[in-house]
Amino acid sequence: MKGAVVRLLLLMGLLAIISRAQVLRADSGTPVTLAAGALLLCGLFAGKVAKGLGLPRLTGYLLVGVAVGPYMLGFIPGEGVKGLDLVKGLAVSLIALVAGTELRLGLIRRVGARVALLCAAVCGVTFIVCFAATVALKPLLPFLAPLTLPQVLAVSALLSTVVVSFSPTVTIAIVQETSARGSFTEFLMALVIIGDLFVMVAFALAAGLTRATFGGGLDVAGLLSGVGWELFGSVVVGGVLAVVMLVYMRGVKQELPLFLVGLSFAAAEGGTRLHLSPLLVSLAAGALIANLDEREGERIHHAIQRAGLPVFALFFAAAGAGLKLDALVTVGPAALLLVVLRGGAIWFSCRRFAPADDPRLKNYLWMGLISQAGVTFGLAALVSRTFPSFGPQVEVLIVAMITAHELVGPVLTRRALTASGEVRTDEAQGTA
Amino acid sequence: MQALLVFLAIAALSLLASSPALDPARFPALARLAAGGFLFLLFGVVLGPSVVGVLSVEDLYLLRPMMALGLGTAGVILGLNLEPRLLRLLPRPVYSAALAHAGTAFLFVAVPLFVPLLLTSRPSWHAAVGAASLLGAAASLSSGHFAVLAYRGGRMDRARGLGVALLTMLDDAVGLVVLALALLLGAAPTAGEGLGLVCLAVLLGILCGSLLAFLTHALKDPAELATVTLGMVALVGGAAAYLRVSALLAGVACGATLALVGGRTTERVARALGRVERPVFLVLVFLVGCGVYTRDWAAWALVPGFVGLRFLGKVVGGTLAQRFARGVLELPPRVGYALIAQGGLALCLVAEYQLLVPGGLSRRVLDVVVVGAVVNELLAGQAFRQVTTPSARVQPVPPPDVGVVT
Repeated sequence: MKGAVVRLLLLMGLLAIISRAQVLRADSGTPVTLAAGALLLCGLFAGKVAKGLGLPRLTGYLLVGVAVGPYMLGFIPGEGVKGLDLVKGLAVSLIALVAGTELRLGLIRRVGARVALLCAAVCGVTFIVCFAATVALKPLLPFLAPLTLPQVLAVSALLSTVVVSFSPTVTIAIVQETSARGSFTEFLMALVIIGDLFVMVAFALAAGLTRATFGGGLDVAGLLSGVGWELFGSVVVGGVLAVVMLVYMRGVKQELPLFLVGLSFAAAEGGTRLHLSPLLVSLAAGALIANLDEREGERIHHAIQRAGLPVFALFFAAAGAGLKLDALVTVGPAALLLVVLRGGAIWFSCRRFAPADDPRLKNYLWMGLISQAGVTFGLAALVSRTFPSFGPQVEVLIVAMITAHELVGPVLTRRALTASGEVRTDEAQGTA
Repeated sequence: MQALLVFLAIAALSLLASSPALDPARFPALARLAAGGFLFLLFGVVLGPSVVGVLSVEDLYLLRPMMALGLGTAGVILGLNLEPRLLRLLPRPVYSAALAHAGTAFLFVAVPLFVPLLLTSRPSWHAAVGAASLLGAAASLSSGHFAVLAYRGGRMDRARGLGVALLTMLDDAVGLVVLALALLLGAAPTAGEGLGLVCLAVLLGILCGSLLAFLTHALKDPAELATVTLGMVALVGGAAAYLRVSALLAGVACGATLALVGGRTTERVARALGRVERPVFLVLVFLVGCGVYTRDWAAWALVPGFVGLRFLGKVVGGTLAQRFARGVLELPPRVGYALIAQGGLALCLVAEYQLLVPGGLSRRVLDVVVVGAVVNELLAGQAFRQVTTPSARVQPVPPPDVGVVT
């Protein structure tokens, strides 16, 4: 670990020199490539340091991103971090593709109904608690103060829907890192994925209601078609991608990692442009491949593991660098209260509603549901864009919550997997 | 979205290039352009803002990070090829021969074309000198891939093939030195400031190269080694682009430093980098092609002069090189004809110049060199036949593995 610390410090020293040298220049060029290189290198060695300290590598990636990012040491300009959005989309697609290959029909038949029921309970309880807290916090939240009661209720519902969301990205990355396998891990992964489907539907409904209370009218047909397109359109596009992948894998037997990266890139960017969910597109593609041809599903899994290290390191380090620490100061107390209430609600609903046949679900499952990352970021940004009058302030509050969840969540997820006894190794080759 | 377009375009072209439609037996020139990456250059010209306009000027601006990555990667690979031990062993006549062929082509192109450059755009003397020098530098560069393919295919004696390859490797230095001088004159308001920027690029490269050697020293996992290598290449190219200094020069300094102090790690890093060399190069030449402004008639008028004078310079320079290297380096007769292919470094030089010295003149230089490089690549096949003779047929050596950068 000492070697990794020295290397990390030297890298940070180099970044400090570069940022000092920039001050001497009147104009600066594009910082995106610098951000990519710096976050990739720092992420890699910070992951090693974190592992040495008994933490998930992912926590190391996130923390070093926070440290060198624009809101702390400022070695990497904000413009550079923003320019890496493309990489973030790619990583989400790759991670979802791997997750999809885990969704076998047998597994869905075995635990599908139980997972869906528990997910509904967890999401429902968490939503109610956060909704009540947000309405009660109206005097403390400046964006709620000037609103009428129906508007307050609608905005609170919208906010609470986003707050409920989980992080399949973090969960799958930690599962890959620890090579965890077993019924608990399957249950956790299925729950975070189904949870995000619930959130997507609920968010569309809440956004429609909010628009109606602000005088935009309630367009039920538009609402339903939008949700339908996002869900079913994503699955159909995912199916097409799966066929393309299978044709490639059977016909061309080389350069699979490169091909998968290219296709995931297209899924991420194209999905966003077509108002589809890139996560769902890749998830559907992975699931279809795994169920149509198990051997090819395994190939995809291994190929992404080989390409995974740089992508995961860069994705999570960039996510850390993008965390707006100043948001913590402005809306810190309200965000902290919501974080605690969300955690408490998840803990309570797992203890109360988790299947009794496996005590591990009652005891440890809640820890795996705390993380929030990409999906939550995306929804918060959507709120900001769709509702310019109050959206940016809601985004700040949500980002403050994500900051807390990103720092605590990966550690808790790993602890849950370790406590469940399903962790096989701590050093999965080439993963997060 | 722009990046997606570029990737899809490159992927489509890669499939096309590997399809039977480009059978070397049926379309030798087209197949040669595809193999050298020049087909991607032409594809970029067609899709760029001045022809079809699939990519706009704003799109190209947003794609500058990829350009920085490409130039940084090209620089590091060039630097890694500068083996200090080999360079120290070379006798002085070899350097004289390389300087003779590169310098002659430089003078043959830069001096006559200085006048039209000055007259057609009425720039400052500084800018015209810089632009003419860049044209000369691009002209001085040659690619050794024909010679390498020839001796591997048994059409040329191995020693002669290696001799040509060595000359083309050494002329890269001329191109880089001229780029540094042109940037010194054009990239900043004063020459002193320009010198400072060039030194900053080199210093950045040395720091990154030393750090890369240290970071990769104890790494055993190939995935980690590849990640660190790619990360450092992005860092050196990105930092240079951020500081608005030359990514190419910084990359060369980084690669050369690693070659000097890296020991056994150097080979592993080169291998890791070799895996991404081709795709990165193709993206780079595609973007360079997109930057061509086809409606600049003055540039079109300069192209015949550039190609003709360069051809003449190479033939005369080749004769001089042969005279200097006699008894030390075995070269084929009429070696100048083996030096007609221009290679990718010329494109890197002019792309870098256009990034750092914006303006009509640097764009004109880019236009001339891009079109000239394609014409030279087409001429090179015919010209090389003057060098290989049936009597020179020797034992073939295993598979071709042509570098794309130089």
